[in-house]
Formats: sequence, structure tokens, C-alpha cells
Amino acid sequence: MIHAQDLTKSFADLKRGSVYALDHVSFDVQPGEIYGLLGPNGAGKTTCLRIISTVLRPTSGSAVVAGYDVATQPEKVRSRIGFMSGNTGIYDRMTAREMVEYFGRMYGLEEDALQQRIEEIFETLQMHDISDILGSKMSTGMKQKVSIARTIVHDPPVLIFDEPTTGLDVLVARAVIKAIESLRDQGKCIIFSTHIMREVEKLCDRIAIIHKGKILATGTIDELESEYDEPDMEELFFELISRSDAQVAAELS
Amino acid sequence: MNWRRIKLIFQREIRDQMRDRRTLFMIAVLPLLLYPAMGVGMVRMLVSFQEQPRTVVVLGERELPEHPELIQPTKTGEEGPRRFVKGWFGLYSDADKLDVYTESMLPRAGDPDADPKLKQLLADAKRIRQKYDQRETLKSTPGRTKDEIELVNRQLGVLFSTSGIQVLIIVPDGFGANIAEVNRLLSEKSGDSEAVPEYGRPIIMHNKADKKSQIAYRRVSSAVSAWEQGILSERLSAAHLPATMTTPVNAEAVDLAQVEDISQSLWSVLFPALLIIMSVTGAFYPAIDLAAGEKERGTMETLLICPASRTEIVIGKFLTIMTFSMSTAILNLLSMGLTGNYMMSAMGGGIFGQAGALAPPSLTALMWVLVLLIPLAALFSALCLSLATFAKSSKEGQYYLTPLLMVTLGLTVFCLSPMIEITPFFSVLPIIGPALLLKELLSSQGSAETLVYAIPVLVTSVIYSMLALWWAIELFSREDVLFRESERFELGLWLRHLLREKEATPSFTEGVVCIVMIFFLQFASYKFLGQIDQDAPLQALKLQMMYLVVTVACPALFMAVMLTKSVRQTLRLRWPSGKMLGLAVLLPVALHPLSLELLASLEWFFPQLPSAVTAQLAALTDNNLPLWLVLLVFAVTPAVCEEVAFRGFIMSGFSHSNRKWLPIMLSALAFGLVHMIPQQVFNATLLGVVLGLIVYHSRSLVPAILFHLTYNSLPILRGRMETKWIEDTPAEWFFAVEGGAIRYEWPTLVIAAVLAVVLLRWLLAQPVGKSSSASANAKLSMESDVNVKTSVRV
Repeated sequence: MIHAQDLTKSFADLKRGSVYALDHVSFDVQPGEIYGLLGPNGAGKTTCLRIISTVLRPTSGSAVVAGYDVATQPEKVRSRIGFMSGNTGIYDRMTAREMVEYFGRMYGLEEDALQQRIEEIFETLQMHDISDILGSKMSTGMKQKVSIARTIVHDPPVLIFDEPTTGLDVLVARAVIKAIESLRDQGKCIIFSTHIMREVEKLCDRIAIIHKGKILATGTIDELESEYDEPDMEELFFELISRSDAQVAAELS
Repeated sequence: MNWRRIKLIFQREIRDQMRDRRTLFMIAVLPLLLYPAMGVGMVRMLVSFQEQPRTVVVLGERELPEHPELIQPTKTGEEGPRRFVKGWFGLYSDADKLDVYTESMLPRAGDPDADPKLKQLLADAKRIRQKYDQRETLKSTPGRTKDEIELVNRQLGVLFSTSGIQVLIIVPDGFGANIAEVNRLLSEKSGDSEAVPEYGRPIIMHNKADKKSQIAYRRVSSAVSAWEQGILSERLSAAHLPATMTTPVNAEAVDLAQVEDISQSLWSVLFPALLIIMSVTGAFYPAIDLAAGEKERGTMETLLICPASRTEIVIGKFLTIMTFSMSTAILNLLSMGLTGNYMMSAMGGGIFGQAGALAPPSLTALMWVLVLLIPLAALFSALCLSLATFAKSSKEGQYYLTPLLMVTLGLTVFCLSPMIEITPFFSVLPIIGPALLLKELLSSQGSAETLVYAIPVLVTSVIYSMLALWWAIELFSREDVLFRESERFELGLWLRHLLREKEATPSFTEGVVCIVMIFFLQFASYKFLGQIDQDAPLQALKLQMMYLVVTVACPALFMAVMLTKSVRQTLRLRWPSGKMLGLAVLLPVALHPLSLELLASLEWFFPQLPSAVTAQLAALTDNNLPLWLVLLVFAVTPAVCEEVAFRGFIMSGFSHSNRKWLPIMLSALAFGLVHMIPQQVFNATLLGVVLGLIVYHSRSLVPAILFHLTYNSLPILRGRMETKWIEDTPAEWFFAVEGGAIRYEWPTLVIAAVLAVVLLRWLLAQPVGKSSSASANAKLSMESDVNVKTSVRV
């Protein structure tokens, strides 16, 4: 469903010169699977997911999503993915219902099917009481619900969640995680980035630990734990990152 | 492109804006309230406004002729300042706007009861008179230096401006008696012209730089001329001469302006100005909200991941902004028109008394307002959207858009000037074209001839709008514009970055900076060029050469050395194939007659050349100068300097994106624009395209220099050609002699055209091979690999 090959993205930075946000990243995600990108802030998770969702263009490398190449058929890709991140806000001057309707129409849903779909989603996410509230008047939890509804309104086969629980209280975060879980059970192909260990352990079938634009290790949690002989996920994470930093320092000196 | 999605975006944005209180206020509430409020304010002002009377001092009142009187005699018991005789004013009430003070109001010099203000005024006036006399004696005394006179002159100025006197009239001694004497001589008809004595003239002192003094002077001087007429007619009647003696022609001016015409001329000024200002204001706030606001509120990415393409998003947003721009303009015009109409009819007898009730503009005029509003609004909307896309917050957006607003205001003022009329040249300029056309169409003189301009105005306006829209789409597709992080910016850091992170060829921005630098240097050296002495041709030629080297070649070379890794690659210093060199010589020979004819046939289109330029062009054909020098100055130097800058550094900068036409077009346009004079701008832009193509296909600057050199040499050589070489020879088939210069006959033109087409087709068919900038980029990415590592180590 998602196939990324050698994705590379470099930026020009005033202070540091040319910087690699993503350095030859490759991975595959299958339907019915949640693939976790685990990494500290600034590791390149967001860049990677933005490339897969065609918002950014890769400097080199390629990605195929649901059978379409992100570089040559971005519109086809966009209509087959649902993307949600901390940067995909909702409109202040639209009500929850208008917002979801608007994006549903953008995806080309027929009016009848759209209304039915909205009823379904609002039912599952328990959004009926907020359907006529303007975005500016909503609490963070309500906004997150609208965002999820917006992400899944066109029932996409591929879903991309970029740190969806950042800044949410425990209750809302839990609801979001539950929603993602149920989406996996529907057979969706899901890629999920976070820096929170617990979510990874709970949710992800396979993970990639990403640091400074490079994938340090990838596999299922059990695989990783046995490979590095470290039963604690958090310790494993620290271990890998400090090892990588030490390696870079050694290379340079 | 999917119009359904564009419509969706458009509808959403409109609804979004309608829910925004700020937008609603700007677009609907403000115009509806502003003009009536302004109207009320104006009425109040007019009611409470009364002009302050100005101070006029008359020295030597006793010397005025006894009849006719200039100043109203004082009635007994009357206090306060005196007045001029009302009869000398066109509007009697004007007499009350001048307070006249004379010496006779102060009978005894040391009167303690006298008004201290009056005493002060008269004392000041006398001091001014003394100073004036001192200056005049100095002027007439031989051997006095300019500085001495200047010093006294300054003192005189200071005295006058600090005195509080707006106009000072000094009547010379014996003035009245002299007039009476001349009257007597004339009435007796005994005197011949020599017998009439010369006598001193009165002086009216005023200060042109002071508004109050200026207004007072205008009134005084018209009253004094009327009074002079009075003296004259008395003189004529005393001499038994007809009163019409001094006015043998006395033409009568007949004004045919109708009431509608007056209002139409008012509309023709107000409507274009208001239309421009309001369409830009109407686009301003929605553009910021739709582009920068979207980023600020964090919904940009939400929009980018929906299936709509960037083009569809931009067009949807553009249409929204345009809708608001147009409705703002229309609402403002309506509100202002209705308020103005009401005010005019309400105060029929006021300052616009002669206009009475304003006639509303005709339906055709209103239709034209609407038609021309469309391209104007489109251009402004696209421009505002582009600029606002750059910004990452609404506040930043306002900073970027303010210059646009200011430029527009400047253009509006330009168009308002009654001297400016639509010409073929103006009609193709953005904003100015539609504004002037509208002005012409709305004024009563607008005729069928004006309608001819509608075609170029509309066509070019559409082109400009499309270009601006294309720019907006271009910006919207750029990641660095959409995802601009608020990174810290330090000048030092940035400069170091520029010098350290050099690339093989310059960046796009560096190309733009180079153009700006050239423009700036040209502007700065304009002053020196103006001082060229046309009588010293050698010096003029030297200056001309230096000018090109300093303003065009230097910035480009400097930037190439400082900012790029490879000067050779940047300036494309590479030896081309022999065929290319052949083309570079042949093509200008073919193009020269064509461009000459093209320019000649477009002569009507461009404004006339300024005389200085004509003189400079004449130097080209001045046969007294050595040919090699003229060729050096007008062919070799420009060829090398301009090619190094425009096809060298600037085009390399623009080529960074690996496109073909964008760098060629942009560098050609910049090349054209530095030529300043419209004819040359046109010609140079066309040539710039050809030169760009040559550089693109040959990947070398050398053929471009050769082409440029040949092209510039041809007119010089043509000027040197003796006309007798052609006369009465078979060459007359190809050349014609016109006014001492040689022109080309049509067989030459046909041959030239065929040759040019063949050569250009050959050029376009040349394989570009591996484009130089592509390989530069490949190299670059390898180099930057190394860079990262090295810089981290540091």
C-alpha cells in the first residue's frame, strides 16, 4: 500500500548550510497494519509523512501510495489518503458539519453518500452535539474529533497520522488511539508517527526508529527487542539514538 | 483543472469571509457609512468655515492718484483696518478678505492711544522698505559682489516673513502727480511720446513660498489690475478717445459646457481614481486573510492534502479576492455617487454653485466602469494574493502589501493629472491604461476614437492579470514559500552563508539582486550623465563607456566573483562551435533591417524621444569622430558589458530551475528595461529573447557578445555609408535613400526575413545537450554533501 524508496529531502539552512531532513529512508506498509515512526523531535518524521502525502516533494527517491507515485500523480494519491497532523488545523469560521461536508465534497463524494457517511462518522465519534459549533468555539478535544472525521470522511485505504495525540489530555488521546485501532481493524493501511513510547507499544505492528533523517532500526517490537536484547522499549530507543550520535561524532573527529 | 473543486473552494472562502467581521466592515459597512459621514462633516466644515482676512500694508497712500480711488476712504468714527474699493474685485465680498493698513491711520507718529499692532506693522513695513532700497542701490552700484547683495536679499526675506504682513504695497513719491500729468498731456494731445515722463512704478511685495501671502497677492493683484483699467479708461475719456482703444481685439469667450458636461468631467476624474484605490483596498484584506491568514491559523496543510491541485486552490482563492475587490469598488462608487449627488443638490448655491445638481453618469459610462473594473480587480487580486502568499502571518502580509498600495496611489495621482491623456503607449501599461481609458470615456469629450484604445487596454490588462495569476500559482507551488519557518535572520549570518555556501552558478535571488543593483547604479549615475557636454563629443563618449562598465559590467562581475564558485560556468565562458559564431554574425545582419522597419512602423505608438537622446543618437552618425572609437563605445563596450550582466550572471541565476523560457524571458525583460526609453525597451526586449536563445542553445556567452557587437555596429556603419554609393546603381533595388540616410527596400526585407527565419529555426533545432545548469546542480549536490560534513566539523 505504501512503498517508500530512498526518500531524501534536504533544506538550505542559514546557519548550518544544506541540511538533510531525510536521508535515504525506505520502508513498506501493508493494509491492516499500523507502521509506527518513532523518533525525537526534529528527527524527520513530519517531513517523511509530508512527502508521502504529496505536500512536499522529495529531493530524491520515490514513494508509491495506493498504487500511485507521489511525484507524478499527486492528486490521485491525495484522494486516497487521509492525513492528520498537528499542522492540519480546522477552519475557525466553519461548523463541524460544514467542515466535514466541505472536505467530503472536495473528495468528490456524492451528496447522498456524503450525508450518510457523515451521519455514520458523527455517530461513531459522538459528534452530534458539536455539529453546529464554529471551529473557533471548540475545545481541543472537539477539534481533534472534527479532524479525525475530516480525515476519514472519504473512507481512504491509507491513513497517515502525524503525532495525533500531541497536546491532548489523556481522555481525548485515548479516544484518538481507539479510533486508530478500529481503523486498523477495518483493514486500513496506517502510518503513525509519535515520540511517545506507550502509544507505540500499544498500537504499532511494526516500527521504525528514526533519528536525524535516518532509519536506525526497523521491525516488529518483538523483533527489535530480541535483536538488540533489550526488553524495555524506552531503553532500546535511548540506546539506539545515543549509539548513532556517538557514531556520527566518531566519524567526524 | 477541476472547476467543481474551484467552485467549492470559492464558495467556502466567500462564506468564510462573510463570517469575518473585519472583512464585512471593510467591504460593506465602511463605504456605506464613510461617505455620508464625510458628507455631514463637510457640510459642518463649510458652515463654520470663514476665511481669515489677510494683512495688506500700503506705504505712500498719499501718493496715490486722487481718482479713481484704490482704497476706501475712512468714514468718521470708523475703527479697525480699512478696505480696498469693492468695485475692483470680481466678487465684492473678496474686498472683506483683505485688511488694509495705511500710514494715514496713524496721524501722529508718537500717538500713545494708537493700536500697537498697527504701529508695529507700519514700523516693520518701513524697515522692509529701507532694506529694499538698500538692495536696489547695491544692485546698481558697480563693483558690489553677488554675496553682498545676496546677504541683503536674505535679510529682506526674513524681515518680510517675520513681519506678519502678507502683501506690502509701496507707492513711489509723486506717483499720483505723474499720472495726472500724463493724463493732462494726453488730453491736450500736445505731447509726443517723448514728452511723456518716465516715472517710478509701485511695488507689490509678496512671498510666493507662503500660502497666505500667495492668496492675498492674487486678490491684491487682480484688484490693482482692475484699478489700473479704471485709471486707463479715465485717461481715455479725458483725451476724448474711445474706451475700446486699448482692446482692439476684445475676443469674447463662449463657454459651451453644459451642466451634464461639468458633472461628467467631475465623474471622469473621480471614478477612475476611486475605482483603482477601492479595487486595491478591496483585494488587500481578503488576500491577506486567504493566504497569510490560512498559514497563520494552521489550516494551510489541511487544504494542501485535499485532492485539489495548487492551481485549483489559487484560482479559487483568486476568484474570491476578485469578488471582494469588485464589490468593494462598486459599493464605494455607489455610496459616494449617491452621497455626492445628494450633497450637490442640497447645497445648490454653494461652492459648486455653477454645477447645481450633478447629473448622474450615463448608462454607457457605467457599463464601461464595470467592464474596466474586471481587469483592474483581477490584476490587483492576483498581485495581492502573490504577495500575501509570501507572508506567514497577517501582520507580515500587511507589510508586504503596503508598497503595492503606495505604488497604486502614486499611479492614481499620475492618472488624475488633467495633462495626462491616453496614448497608444499608455494604453498598454498596467493600471494606467484602464484608468486613462476610463477617464477619457467618462469625460464628455470621449468619442469613438477613444474606443479604439479599448482593445489594447483590455488585451494587455488580461495578459497582465494572467501573468500575476501565474506568479501566484508559481509561489503557491513553492515549498519554501508555503512552509516558511520563522527562522532567525541575522545579516551577518546571512552574508556568511552567502559567501560560504557558494554554488557553481548564482541563485534566482542573486540574479534579481543583480538587476536591482544595475537599476540602482543607473539611477545614481543619472546625474553625471546629465552633465555631459554635447559639444565635447570625446568626453561624452568616454563617459558613456565608463557608465556601461560601472553600472552594468561591474555589479555582475563583482557578484559572479563573490557569490559563485565558478565564474566560468556562471558567465558561460566556453568556446562555441564555429557554426554558432557564424550564426552570431549572420543573424543580426538579417534582423537589423527588420527591426529598423518594425520600429519605424511603430513610431506612432511610442512617446517622442527626449532631445538629449536624439543628440546622443546623432553622435552615432557624426562623421567627424574616428570610426573605431564610435564602434568601441557603442558596439564593443555594450556588447561585452551587457552580455556579461544579462546573459551571463542574471540568466545563469534564473536558469537555476532548469527551465528554458523563464530565464530567457526574464533576462530579456530586464535587459529591455535598463534601456529606459520605450522604443529601446521594446527593441532590446525582443533582441534579449534572441540573445537568450543563442546563449541557451550554444551554452556559451561568446556568440551572444558577437551578435550584440554586430547588431550594434550595423546602424553605425549604415550612418557612415555614403549615399552616392547607392544612387544610380543596381543597389537601389535593395536600399533607398531617405533624407540623407539609407533605408531598406522591400526585397531586402524579404530576404532578411527569410534568412532570419532559417537561422532561428536552425538555432532552435540545435540540441542543448546536457544543460549546463543541470550538471551544475548535480555537482552541487555532491559538493553540498561534503559541505555538511565539513561544516559540522567546524
